[in-house]
Amino acid sequence: MTTRTRGVASQDPPLAIGAEHVAKSFGHVTALRDASIAVRPGEIVALCGDNGAGKSTFLRVLQGIYRPDAGRVIIGGQEVDLTSVRDAQALGVDTVHQDLALAPDLSTVDNIFLGHEIRRRGVLGGFGILDRAEMAERADAALKELSIALPSLTVPVRELSGGQRQAVAIARAVMWSSKAVLMDEPTAALAARQSRIVCDLMRSVADRGLGVLVVSHDLPAVLEVAHRVVVLWRGKTVLDAPAADLTVPDLVATMVGHVKEAA
Amino acid sequence: MSDTKAVPVMAEPETDDRARQRTPLQRLMGARATWIFLLDIALIALFTALSREGVFLSWLNTKALLLSGAEALLLAVGLAMLLGAGKFDLSLGANLVMSSVMAALAMVAMVGAGAGVGVTILAGLVVCLGTGAMIGALNGMLVAVFGINSLIATLGMLGVITGFALVATGNGQDVTGFPHQLQSGFGLRTIGGIPAPALLALTVALAMWVVIRFTAFGRHTLAIGSAPLAAERVGLRVTRHVMSLFVLAGMLAGLAGFIDIAHYQTTVINGHNNAALQAVAAAVIGGTALEGGRISIMGTIWGVALAVILQNGLVIIGVSSAYQLMAVGAVLIVAVGLDRMSSRRP
Repeated sequence: MTTRTRGVASQDPPLAIGAEHVAKSFGHVTALRDASIAVRPGEIVALCGDNGAGKSTFLRVLQGIYRPDAGRVIIGGQEVDLTSVRDAQALGVDTVHQDLALAPDLSTVDNIFLGHEIRRRGVLGGFGILDRAEMAERADAALKELSIALPSLTVPVRELSGGQRQAVAIARAVMWSSKAVLMDEPTAALAARQSRIVCDLMRSVADRGLGVLVVSHDLPAVLEVAHRVVVLWRGKTVLDAPAADLTVPDLVATMVGHVKEAA
Repeated sequence: MSDTKAVPVMAEPETDDRARQRTPLQRLMGARATWIFLLDIALIALFTALSREGVFLSWLNTKALLLSGAEALLLAVGLAMLLGAGKFDLSLGANLVMSSVMAALAMVAMVGAGAGVGVTILAGLVVCLGTGAMIGALNGMLVAVFGINSLIATLGMLGVITGFALVATGNGQDVTGFPHQLQSGFGLRTIGGIPAPALLALTVALAMWVVIRFTAFGRHTLAIGSAPLAAERVGLRVTRHVMSLFVLAGMLAGLAGFIDIAHYQTTVINGHNNAALQAVAAAVIGGTALEGGRISIMGTIWGVALAVILQNGLVIIGVSSAYQLMAVGAVLIVAVGLDRMSSRRP
């Protein structure tokens, strides 16, 4: 507990994604009071907190779904004003959701390219005809790069296992992100072995130079995979420390707000 | 980081089996469209055998079949596109009537004002498409912008439009008196022996098949039907897309309305009360999923054909066409029921 630092540390390398002193209220409910986080390229940062601590709200601010009442959002070292998910995506930030991230009736290839379809060259492309061969090739390359093997890229993703689907969702986010990938409880719906594979994937993603911000309740996994851990407590960042310095009991104590008494 | 070559870490034996790619033959035989097509063929054979001198399969009767299926096909294809995105439109039949009434009134007024035949008919087409598109846009706004369930929104619109069509025609007096060239030049015209309206409807169906199969618009439609939230999350403009689907279906209903007045040389205000439900039946029988995410345009064509073949065939062999309603209903239930039972979803 000795290395605990408050707020955002110095910003020598430009942040992949970050936020400083963000506040957000909904009517009389104050979801965020003073939330800060900083994720550098190649770094995995875990965002933890008890239920109602404001994790989801904070993530949505970073995704561009909510505009903060106060504070700054930073992408690629620049302060940005996000008005929609599309804004964040255009700036190179994409999200992997716990579930409902893919269209189950579409194939892996179609899901990876959803909203980013490649058209044929020439007249056919002018009519909006897709270049399936090119999309299949690039999807295959992207999956291979992350060491994801699937039995088929053309069957509907509903026929894949939960872990396979999550892998596809991660590959999709990585493909369209140039700065950072946000992950919302990426392992919550998965069995132990599949969730380990997803953790490996996070490392692969960070190794590609992207910032990874992961919201998770799986504290042992968080401490193993993350470089740093940020804890929100009642809408405020109360801990930002290297994961190596933390233990699960420390983390739990901070999350439920016992730290002040203990300190 | 793990090594860069793909190892089958994600593939577990039991899931491998489920997700294995199917051969083209397996896919063909697994498709509902194929089975409905075979049922159509069987029914054609049956009615040909039962009708006197095989008159069912005569060229004259085949043309009648094609002509009577044209309007139903346009409605069903439009509906299939909406169903693909998980939306309904129960007002398509009323839209057809309304479009034909507006066009008929416009044409009668133009004839009265001494306008030429060509420009009058063209105006009729434009009014049909425009009315259909406007009703579609209204439906789309209720559903996509105001978030009203599409079943409810279009049920409400069904009543509003039907009532409006009755008011506009002095309590349902069918409108006549527009250029007869509309019927001779289009409604009853054949091109290469095939009725022009049927050719038009089939061309539209083919175009929609291409859209669904090969374009981003088609992928987005299915994605929205499959998982609206996922579609929103990946940044698709869902509201705009749903709007455009309703406008598209509305325009196809308007086009069907144009065929209607060209075919009968009068509006048929009371002849389309069940048109929207028949379109639902045809699309769903053909394998389009009511829950969204799956469209079969081919299946929709065979589904429409099934209804038309039954209707016409039963009349020809001297059986009340009331049995057609029962038969289509039964096929609908059996087809969807079999699908449920054989579905391998976890």
